[in-house]
Amino acid sequence: MKKIIVDSLKYKYPGTDNLALNDISFEVEEGEIIGIVGKNGSGKTSLSLSLTGLIPHFFGGGYGGKVLVDGLEVRNSTVTEISERVGYVFDNPFSQMTAAKYTVYEEVAFGLENMGLPREEIKKRVDWSLQLLDLESIKEKYPFDLSGGQMQRVAIAGVIAMKPQILVLDEPTSQLDPEGSEEVFQVIQSLAQEGITILIVEHKLEKIAKFCDKILLLHEGQLIDFNHPQEVFSRDDLKDYGIMPPVFTRVCRALDIKNPLTGHYPVTLEEVTQLVKNHE
Amino acid sequence: MNEIKTENVSFSYDQKTIVLKDINLTLANKPTAIIGQNGAGKSTLVKLFKGLLKPTEGDIWINGKNTKEFTAAQLASHIGLVFQNPGDQIFKHKVIDEVMFGPLNIGQSREKAYQNSIEALKKVHMEKYKDENPYDLNLSQQKLVTIASILAMDPPIIIFDEPTIGQDDFGKELLKNLIRDLAAEGKLVLTIIHDMDFVAETFERTIVMNQGEVILDGPTREVFAKEDIIKLAKLDLPHVMQMAKVFGIEETVLTVDELITRLQRI
Amino acid sequence: MKMTLYVAKNSIVHKSDPITKLTYCLVAAIVPYIIPNHLFAFVIMLLSISLLLLGKVFRKMIPIYILSLFLLITIVIIQGIFHPDNVTPLFMLGPITFYQEGLLIASLLIIRIINMLSAFGVVILTTQPDDLIEALVKKGMSPRIGYVIGSVLQIIPQMSSMVGTIMDAQRSRGLETEGKLSTRIKAFIPLIGPVIMNSLIATRERSIALEIRGFNSKRKKTFLRDEKEFLFGKPYQLLLILCFIGAIIWRIFQ
Ligand SMILES: Nc1ncnc2c1ncn2[C@@H]1O[C@H](COP(=O)(O)OP(=O)(O)OP(=O)(O)O)[C@@H](O)[C@H]1O
Ligand SMILES: Nc1ncnc2c1ncn2[C@@H]1O[C@H](COP(=O)(O)OP(=O)(O)OP(=O)(O)O)[C@@H](O)[C@H]1O
Ligand SMILES: [Mg+2]
Ligand SMILES: [Mg+2]
Repeated sequence: MKKIIVDSLKYKYPGTDNLALNDISFEVEEGEIIGIVGKNGSGKTSLSLSLTGLIPHFFGGGYGGKVLVDGLEVRNSTVTEISERVGYVFDNPFSQMTAAKYTVYEEVAFGLENMGLPREEIKKRVDWSLQLLDLESIKEKYPFDLSGGQMQRVAIAGVIAMKPQILVLDEPTSQLDPEGSEEVFQVIQSLAQEGITILIVEHKLEKIAKFCDKILLLHEGQLIDFNHPQEVFSRDDLKDYGIMPPVFTRVCRALDIKNPLTGHYPVTLEEVTQLVKNHE
Repeated sequence: MNEIKTENVSFSYDQKTIVLKDINLTLANKPTAIIGQNGAGKSTLVKLFKGLLKPTEGDIWINGKNTKEFTAAQLASHIGLVFQNPGDQIFKHKVIDEVMFGPLNIGQSREKAYQNSIEALKKVHMEKYKDENPYDLNLSQQKLVTIASILAMDPPIIIFDEPTIGQDDFGKELLKNLIRDLAAEGKLVLTIIHDMDFVAETFERTIVMNQGEVILDGPTREVFAKEDIIKLAKLDLPHVMQMAKVFGIEETVLTVDELITRLQRI
Repeated sequence: MKMTLYVAKNSIVHKSDPITKLTYCLVAAIVPYIIPNHLFAFVIMLLSISLLLLGKVFRKMIPIYILSLFLLITIVIIQGIFHPDNVTPLFMLGPITFYQEGLLIASLLIIRIINMLSAFGVVILTTQPDDLIEALVKKGMSPRIGYVIGSVLQIIPQMSSMVGTIMDAQRSRGLETEGKLSTRIKAFIPLIGPVIMNSLIATRERSIALEIRGFNSKRKKTFLRDEKEFLFGKPYQLLLILCFIGAIIWRIFQ
């Protein structure tokens, strides 16, 4: 089932002349994980905001084309209606804190209270997400008295606890330690297995290659490619879009090691490991 | 020669939970990375260096000045810190005013401050935004503005708290070169960072922190040789090292080129 | 960073129903205006102060009293010297004559203000903001307004934390903010602009943060916090409202 349909989306911020999103069309199936990549200013955040309705409802500006999330047309729905289907993690965790709550625990529970879930269910889900993000030891702290990475974890926990059908994350691991980043991607993977559809903006291409079903490559507001990681990362023109393929791919390319099964250079460590094993 | 020296430094925000325990470090001109898990105390430590916080116990000297005896403002021309969250640093309506604020305060003339600020913005490719409102920029651009604000003051000691947040490959490359250049000019550059590939490629010395303590400190090559400690601190090996292991190379490998050369020989 | 003015103490005032306290606060603040009588206003003021003492939070009010002293002295001087009804000279201070009528009016004003501050103090210092807001929302108030009240209660601590952040940013880059009083006063001016701007930006950011997590959803919200049992519920609220109506009636038939 198609969970997201974006059709000829065009968007321009108020007071600017350039299109931040220029004629973008793509579709996402239920339970897919899509990685959105592109250099700074390519439109990743703008695209993700347009799935939440904050574009155009909050930002205003010029808007054309159509975005459907779970059958709901974004332009004709309120941000609140959309928020019941789409969860969103901001690139800056600071922007996500409600300032309505005094502890990490309550901050994480905020969305669930608004959903009107039974109290027992809320407690169960909050404990679950606190544990997934390793926040149990600081659950009584004031959300603004946290380290940057801790705050980012709280931001993610507060959204995944809501288990929205569609989850959009804008660089959610930018301040996390390496183990934390890996864990977040694993959580995302298991959510996808439950049928949650995921779009994640990320500069860590090794993670994108490992966890995403497809990559959406943006450049100057245009969609350049929407394809499997192997395909995208073996493009010869990636440099033109300001992207370097994962380390593994770069090394294999230099040594001309291809995966005979796909005909492409390997994109993950697992793939390289498999190749080396087969070789022996 | 620039130097940061700490002696038995401990710190707590609330007098109850200890955030830093007995830190003894001497930092000199080698480009140095501080790595460690979220909440380890990295940002707190550099705020102590900066004089924004004062040690609960112990002393810190910045080029011979004890931070307890000087205000943060008095130390400002000696040590610059780019904050982790740009929102904590930016407070002006115009990029150029934001960048000029520091230089003007430490006694540069208007012309000089302007000139230095434009230079600094150029270094991070942000000069075309000089008349924009920094609040209209996105996170990665704000980060670059905050970096320029410190560069324009030209302090002999510069600390970056997670400079690569939100930066693409081009931005990371730019920062790598910037750090190298600053070090080559004889500045003490200290960087907190979670990107292990960046650490491996850029820094000579690496300090690993865990739960308020320094658990490892040495040349980057040696630090990454201690995989067990790296993992304990919730960190990881650089991707090239992970890949090298697959090919049976157990020694530390720090860059893509190094790995390629090693593998070509096999 | 402590983000509320609430003072955690174990007292009967703390354990009282937030709505009852709020009703008391409103009634006690308004009634002395309806009944313009010195003795009466004074009794209500003493009552409010006793509640503060009972709640063990009187000391927290002292700085607020001192701050308002400035305002109060101005009132005394202006009314004492210039009130149009002034006829009976009471005493002289140098060349200036103070009159009885003006001072009487001034003293009533002062009692009312002290009383009002104290009554507000009773609510704000002894009630957890969440308890108050939740109680109000349960009574049918819109959660939006609840959030606004919550933010108002947080304004002072939040401002002071914002001031702290901006001052850190400024002294990091060489603006002296510590030391002599004159330095601190000088440092105050460059703070005003950024604090106002940051507040506006924060407000916008927060409203996005709330909306995106379904805050304005029409569903019935769950209240996660444990239901607390409070003393002095409904009957006391009714009693207070009756007192209020009584005061109005008294005034009409006076
Ligand atoms: N609030 C805004 N007002 C005006 N223009 C904006 C605004 N936000 C973004 N833009 C512009 O829209 C374009 C796309 O920006 P966007 O933030 O979506 O890029 P991005 O891919 O998320 O970049 P980054 O990797 O730096 O986060 C850029 O040219 C940017 O300058
Ligand atoms: N203002 C504060 N008040 C109280 N505790 C704080 C405050 N700031 C940080 N802490 C706590 O101090 C500890 C160290 O925080 P710090 O910001 O130094 O961590 P960090 O190593 O920089 O982490 P990160 O990688 O997430 O940025 C954390 O447990 C954090 O919760
Ligand atoms: Mg972005
Ligand atoms: Mg930090």
